[in-house]
Amino acid sequence: MRSAYAGNESPARAESSVGAISHQQNAETFTDGAESRPLQSVGDHSVGVSFADNTLRTSVNSVSAAVGDSVDEPTAEIVSSTPILGPNQGEEVSRPTDDQIIAQENSIRAAEAEKMPFVGTVEPLSALEEEYRQGSFVFREKIRSLEMQYGSMRRTRGDGNCFFRSFMFAFMEKLVQDNDLTERNRVVTCIRQWKAKLIAVGFQELVFEDAMEIVIDQLNSLGTTEPLNVAQLEANMRDAMLSPMIIMLLRMLTSAEIQRRSDFFAPFIMGMCDDEISVEQFCRRYVEPMGEESDHVHIVALTNALQVPIRVVYLDRSVGAAMAGVGYDSAAVNHHDFVPDALSESASAAAAAVKPRVHVLYRPGHYDILYPLPVTAADSTQIASC
Amino acid sequence: MGTRSPSQIAMRRIQSELADWLLDDRRPEGCQLESFEPLMSWVVVIEGPDAAPGMPKLYNGERFRLRVNFSDRYPLDPPEVYFIPPSPVHPHIYSNGHICLDILYDGDNGGWSPALTLGKVAISLRSMLASNTELKRPPGDQEYCARTCGRSPKQTRWEFEDDTV
Repeated sequence: MRSAYAGNESPARAESSVGAISHQQNAETFTDGAESRPLQSVGDHSVGVSFADNTLRTSVNSVSAAVGDSVDEPTAEIVSSTPILGPNQGEEVSRPTDDQIIAQENSIRAAEAEKMPFVGTVEPLSALEEEYRQGSFVFREKIRSLEMQYGSMRRTRGDGNCFFRSFMFAFMEKLVQDNDLTERNRVVTCIRQWKAKLIAVGFQELVFEDAMEIVIDQLNSLGTTEPLNVAQLEANMRDAMLSPMIIMLLRMLTSAEIQRRSDFFAPFIMGMCDDEISVEQFCRRYVEPMGEESDHVHIVALTNALQVPIRVVYLDRSVGAAMAGVGYDSAAVNHHDFVPDALSESASAAAAAVKPRVHVLYRPGHYDILYPLPVTAADSTQIASC
Repeated sequence: MGTRSPSQIAMRRIQSELADWLLDDRRPEGCQLESFEPLMSWVVVIEGPDAAPGMPKLYNGERFRLRVNFSDRYPLDPPEVYFIPPSPVHPHIYSNGHICLDILYDGDNGGWSPALTLGKVAISLRSMLASNTELKRPPGDQEYCARTCGRSPKQTRWEFEDDTV
């Protein structure tokens, strides 16, 4: 009964559904986004940037409120799922029209885009410290401990694509800076091999050929007289069309990797979703569409798809056993290394020493890029063993 | 690398999809391309699917025309898709041709992805017709059509909850 059909709802009910513009209910249960976000809201200035959904929801509600309608727990409404659906419009004259709501959303998005490009500039980690100056003790301690290993960061826009964008930017930036033709050749070959694999799981070639060509073109410019440089990479990753095309390819590779190894991924996916959902449906709904947030499943798949080891550093409130105010460990920053299966197997005993190529900082609902401090000979052994 | 303007990417992609539609064996079953002039705006004809055994014959022999407008940001943005009235009578299709189907829209609850094609959209629409059991309009059809007169369905905020039809 929560559908917003005109003419068969009381004003209050119809109004609630205006607020309920959010994800379907299972979208909320397992993306790392919306509902887990409040956790980190204290003292986190980037909340407004990365949490487009909440911003949006709030502002839509306030439009409704402004015209005098009651808004009762709009997001809670979505839980009672009744069959049938409809355009989300009620009949009240005083309600904002869909046009008004969408115009408002667009202006919020535009304002956000101005505040935060798809990828930002390199900032010292002290910027992060500054951000949490009023924040919790745990966060500040963790940042201090982060500074032992990382010197700087680069923020990305919180539009749901932040993991893929952080990954690709960091990966390519390192290739460009090191002019690492060996790794470039490896990854170009790897991406080319994906063509057949994408087709095998059902992607039509026409849906990925352009995006694949864009990515390979950029990689192939390395080692030429006009190689991609960091400034150009920044421009490309900020471009309204190129940047999403690159992400689109990564999403398809991730989806194909999950579907190719569905026996492996199925239990994880079942664990994440309340409803029964097939691996294919999961990919259609939560991997391939732009803006769907990334979870462990996505990262495991991508690291394997491209054979690129990734380190995710978690900046959250989780504290070790030492939280009770004891010892230094309470400030330890957890990280997780995503190591491609082939690398961890072939490196056998040395598996633990597979060096991540890409470092990202995870704060609940959002990923940014981290830059490790140069490793000196003296402490390289320490780092390798962590 | 050559930079590509948004419309170049969109045009290439639309042309690739068009090539498929022009080949009999690659076109979705029960669908024809009536017009693709200009290239960004097509008309597709969808034949009413045969009823499954034991199901009521709702659309047998009927033909419906679908307007498809691609944007400069295709395939990142979904195409605008609606039936040119008279639209099929269906609980998710309004008389003005607007269609409540998640893959036609992006954003928070939309299901569009660049991995989809117009061919896949047409197949979904046809299967939406095939699985229907009752000739009726969505509740509030008249009011909705009056309110959205002359506007794009992409300007409507949709909710998608019914997986059955």
